[in-house]
Amino acid sequence: MIKTFITSFKLKNTYRTNSIIYSIKQFPIIKKILPDSLYKNSGLKIFANIISILSEIIGIFIGKIIYILTMIFMALSWYHTNQADTFIHIFTFLTLAGGVLNTYMLNPTKDKYYAIILMNMNAREYGLSNYYYQLIKLVVGFLPFTILFGMIAGVPLWIQIALPIFVLAVKLIVMNYSIYDFKKTNKASNENLPTKFVWGFVAVCLLLSYGLPAINITINVTVFLVVFIISLILGIYSLIKIHTFTDYRKMYKQILTASNVYMAENNAGTQAMKDISLKQIELDKNYTSNKSGFAYFHDLFVKRHSKILTKAVKKQSVIILIIFTAMIIGIEVNEELKNRTNEILMKYLPYFVFIMYCINRSSSVTQAMFMNCDHSMLTYRIYRTPKVILGIFKERLKTLITINLMPATLIGLGLAVLLYLSGGTDKPLNYMVLFVSIIAMSIFFSVHYLVMYYLLQPYNVNTELRSSTYKTVQGITYLVCWFMIQIQLPTLYFGIATIAFCVVYSLISLYLAYKYATKTFKLRV
Amino acid sequence: MKLVVKNLKKNFGKKEVLKDINFEFEKGKIYGLLGRNGAGKTTFFNCLNEDIEINSGEFYIEDNDTKRKMEAEDVGYVLSTPNVPEFLTGREFLKFFIDINKKRIKEEKTIDEYFDFMKIEKEDRDRLLKDYSHGMKNKMQMLVNIIANPNVLLLDEPLTSFDVVVAEEMKQMLREIKKNHIIIFSTHIMELALDLCDEIVILNKGVLEEIDKSNLNNEQFKNKIIDALKEEG
Repeated sequence: MIKTFITSFKLKNTYRTNSIIYSIKQFPIIKKILPDSLYKNSGLKIFANIISILSEIIGIFIGKIIYILTMIFMALSWYHTNQADTFIHIFTFLTLAGGVLNTYMLNPTKDKYYAIILMNMNAREYGLSNYYYQLIKLVVGFLPFTILFGMIAGVPLWIQIALPIFVLAVKLIVMNYSIYDFKKTNKASNENLPTKFVWGFVAVCLLLSYGLPAINITINVTVFLVVFIISLILGIYSLIKIHTFTDYRKMYKQILTASNVYMAENNAGTQAMKDISLKQIELDKNYTSNKSGFAYFHDLFVKRHSKILTKAVKKQSVIILIIFTAMIIGIEVNEELKNRTNEILMKYLPYFVFIMYCINRSSSVTQAMFMNCDHSMLTYRIYRTPKVILGIFKERLKTLITINLMPATLIGLGLAVLLYLSGGTDKPLNYMVLFVSIIAMSIFFSVHYLVMYYLLQPYNVNTELRSSTYKTVQGITYLVCWFMIQIQLPTLYFGIATIAFCVVYSLISLYLAYKYATKTFKLRV
Repeated sequence: MKLVVKNLKKNFGKKEVLKDINFEFEKGKIYGLLGRNGAGKTTFFNCLNEDIEINSGEFYIEDNDTKRKMEAEDVGYVLSTPNVPEFLTGREFLKFFIDINKKRIKEEKTIDEYFDFMKIEKEDRDRLLKDYSHGMKNKMQMLVNIIANPNVLLLDEPLTSFDVVVAEEMKQMLREIKKNHIIIFSTHIMELALDLCDEIVILNKGVLEEIDKSNLNNEQFKNKIIDALKEEG
């Protein structure tokens, strides 16, 4: 088993190293300097290897610190309950939710696909050795931060140490149950496609973890001790069962299909990615168009993709309406919530940058545009003439902005109404700024993703995402939006600054798109 | 009308795929482009279609002794793997292409006449292209390129996915339209090239050379081509 693990680790490291070199070569200026023989260059290989190993080590800790800091530690300030108990309480319920959502073993990753399906490695040895490695990383990654943040929150030392072991035990129990279920039904569960039961369980856990402390109920040290001992016993039993299970190949053959792996990696490319995109096309005989030329072409694209376009934003809008209705009822009956809401609306507008980022459809829409449309059409020279490129760009921009504006308008109006009902403000301009800044953010994301798509066209002929610049821009966009969560600023100032930024950014990027898209919008060969 | 290629070079890193291409392709002829795997046939087409940038050289259209740049409308490119927008029906795809090529179409036919020309059955015309077979997608790709009426038609192994009956129909169709186009036809199948093409051109060591058939019978001509191909590498 150790030999299998070493082979698999070397394999993973090799393609990770090659991916790093490939990514470096995708940057516009660097690719002209670096030769193709780079993959043979031992100096650079060592450098990429070091980055690869460093990222593995950093990866052990970075996710855990962010998780404990944002999901648990920062939440403590919301409640008036005992800090130590609340820490243990939230950690326990989130661990239960995380246990069913993330098993490691049942995640159809590219590594497993390459090793088990393509290279025919021993599935049991591969699966188990990598599973144990992940579990060790889990405990090692959690321990420093359960100690650090646990100490600050006043959690007893033995619980600080027990918490990572509790996570480990829960993971083992869930995995053992999955194996038991597989033996019984002959159906392996893919952790990226959770069942309704799993989602329900997660929702209940989240509700209990954050909801109970709000009404001054938390589990205490004694309850945790009982839960921990039971988990530990079941965990040891599960470990034995997992270790003695033999039919891993059969189980993995079900999970490791090309399309599952694509979903997990989100960039496995090839036919699987295309197949998933094709499933998004709907043929309804009533969907026709009276337009002509590229307006006709685009109109049909929108109608045939209503599942990911109009229907998706309609669903979002309904959820937003429900949330706002619940909030309005809440602030009418609860004075504390009313005051807190007013405070949030006056200080936490930056948080909505992240929310608008999450609900914006532009990223998935541009992907569908490529997979189901531009991938084929860009091979026709006539489609790449400036008139057609800019004509279709204009139609797409109008559609993206309109679609994203539907939920944005609801959020903007909802926030203004909530501000009014929660006690209002002595500066009436705040109402306007709240509404307009949300609209501006929505337009910003629509323009941003479409312009990036046209200027960087990141996909190659095999439908693989191959632009490091595009990936970097996406990463920076996410980081900036995530960083906004941490900021508190008066709504008036932040809102005005946001509106100004969005207007200027959108104008500049549209200018760049009109100037350069006719040259940049083509297939990567 | 001629398509003139002069000193065309294309490198990928240090590898010179197209070394020095000099050739004149004339209207009214089908040119069979032969070459071994990796010889650079698709690269040559990608250069002419401006999918990739060339390192040096030029290509242009020469008509009545006047030379002009090859525009997007001048080129039609039919790939071996058919590329069609799968969210449209066959009829909608044709309508879109007719709309955007309106100015270039000399004698516009009805959409059904185009379908008849390409022998696409009535029941298939309003189906989504994603449900078309590989061969039917290829027919659609060929058809829209013909509708656009380009001066130069690049065909990258377009007949390999057709069954024998459809392949014969396509060959017949190409013979019918060749008088108005410069057709360059890349293939691995020598019999097909010999049967369909007026001239045989070999891409060998990054250079294009025409194989002269004069005074040779079919068998001798075939052997000459094979010898030329073997020289590569």
